[in-house]
Amino acid sequence: MNRPGHSATSVSDIAVELTEVDKIFYQRQRSEKVRDVFKNLFRPNVREIRALQKVNLEIDCGEIVAYAGPNGAGKSTTVKLLSSVLAPTLGTVRCLGMDPMKDRVHYVKRIGVVFGQRTELWWDQPVAASFEWKRVVWDIPRDRYDAMLDFVKDLLGIDAFFNSLARQLSLGQKMRADLALMLMHEPEILFLDEPTIGVDVLAKRNMLEFIKNLNREKGVTVMITSHDMDELEQLAGRIVMIDKGHIAFDGDFQELRRQFGDHRHLIIETSDTSPPKLSGVQFVESKGNRHHFTFDAAQISIPTLLDQAAGQTTIRDVETHRAPIDDVIADMYEYWDGKGGEE
Amino acid sequence: MKTLTMLISRWWVQAYLDFMWMTRDFRFFFINIVSDIILNLAGVTAVFLLAERFEGIGLWSRDQIVFMLGYAALVRGFLDMGFSYNVLHISRRIGRGQMDHTLVQPQPVWMGLLTEGFMPFSGSWSLFTGIGIWTWAIFQLDAVFTMYWWLMFFSNLASSCAIVLSFSFVWGSLAFWAPVAAEEISSRAVNFMFQLKSFPLDGLSVYVLASMLTVLPVGFVAWYPCRQLLGIAPANLWHTPLVAVVLSLIAWILFKKGMQHYEQTGSQRYLGFGHRG
Repeated sequence: MNRPGHSATSVSDIAVELTEVDKIFYQRQRSEKVRDVFKNLFRPNVREIRALQKVNLEIDCGEIVAYAGPNGAGKSTTVKLLSSVLAPTLGTVRCLGMDPMKDRVHYVKRIGVVFGQRTELWWDQPVAASFEWKRVVWDIPRDRYDAMLDFVKDLLGIDAFFNSLARQLSLGQKMRADLALMLMHEPEILFLDEPTIGVDVLAKRNMLEFIKNLNREKGVTVMITSHDMDELEQLAGRIVMIDKGHIAFDGDFQELRRQFGDHRHLIIETSDTSPPKLSGVQFVESKGNRHHFTFDAAQISIPTLLDQAAGQTTIRDVETHRAPIDDVIADMYEYWDGKGGEE
Repeated sequence: MKTLTMLISRWWVQAYLDFMWMTRDFRFFFINIVSDIILNLAGVTAVFLLAERFEGIGLWSRDQIVFMLGYAALVRGFLDMGFSYNVLHISRRIGRGQMDHTLVQPQPVWMGLLTEGFMPFSGSWSLFTGIGIWTWAIFQLDAVFTMYWWLMFFSNLASSCAIVLSFSFVWGSLAFWAPVAAEEISSRAVNFMFQLKSFPLDGLSVYVLASMLTVLPVGFVAWYPCRQLLGIAPANLWHTPLVAVVLSLIAWILFKKGMQHYEQTGSQRYLGFGHRG
């Protein structure tokens, strides 16, 4: 699949490379009928789950890539493959020129991983103690450690709760502390698996800003998964969509909108209460003399619609909004679901 | 040499974490010490009272029984001090999907497990109880302790610890294949060893004794090595270390197999509590 600006990439610029990767899990299926008890015990039905199928993916150094898909699509499995927690069933996984499973000890020293709702902090200790533990286990030289500690304290604002017990932190504080802890060894790639899950709007905004700054200033490669598409659109230039273990889309957000319809909202305020009859649009509702329509901007242009409306009534005001990316993705999931059902 | 430096630096930071945790508040500090001492004493009191009442049990004199109780308490003390945070109860970590944390650390898995549970301050009070009982017994016993005897004593003590740890890992490895059903299996195995560790096993039938020295090697936690060390049975002080080597090897193979399985299947569940206090 072609991606914008990626045709002339040299091998040394590639941070992550998945080639023909399959990941298969086996799940026992148990019947609830009593007569099947022996079958359940001795010859259970085993269901094969193909979490990833022939996945090919390249991420260049310094990129921020959003990795999205419906529940069970294979996002976390991919992150685990890249974090040396899981091995692929088939295919090869290379990251920073290494095999994450074979070179695990050297490899994890160069990456940072955050799994949302998990913590690397020592629960009954002040946050500061986890940082000291990290310095020793990751063997971070003292001068680099001090410099990074100042950097993360400044950017993530963890100073205020640095000496509080980890278990007493709010979810947002804990996430910031975990991010800071992850950054202490100056990883070259970050794998963030739903890092903002459960975090409030302000903390989320600060965290995204921080990731962007980190990418801009230090050139850190970032792969982030999330269900919040608006968040991903703010952060990443490229989005990789996965569905049922396949890469279903790889490109930028504009291209995604183009492929799945550039849905817009049009609100026209007219001199009367009955809505104008417009072709190529879907009427949503009228509130007094404000009339709400939706349409696909790739099929019909706004001036055409306004011409149609002006021929029928007097236009007082016009508003247009692009549909939130979440709506585009929801349509896409629905489409994929329908396609899956037909197979 | 580099490995040793890495081990020492990790134990050092764990000691620091433990010291800071232990000393966060005086009441907590005091309660922690008292409860650990009471627990360890309670574990050996019943047998001590029997030995006191009957001036020994079977072939064992009262002081020899106290020596064995001290030895058993030392084994428990070392394991409590060195393998906390559910390293001794390894099936909990495996069953709760917490091996992921170990795998994203830049160190061999064995190094993480060997150092992460080190709690020399909060975990050492049962060890001090053991040292107290054992020292008292040493002064009561009318015996000459040669250099060879001391060498054998320490190698047997280390072997007994390794046997309990290996036994826990052998059973605990089942959690790689059955994470929910086997989550608590290491705790059951360790509790079984600790509950029976203080009983002299003389007089049991051959079959029961054989099983307690093979499939359920509780005899090697204290009874068998103390029998040899005190000269109650013909001394063959290499038996316990030999069993420790064999059992450690079995545990290592099973755990490695389990880790290979874990790398293929991962964990379908994750529970956060236990391994980080």
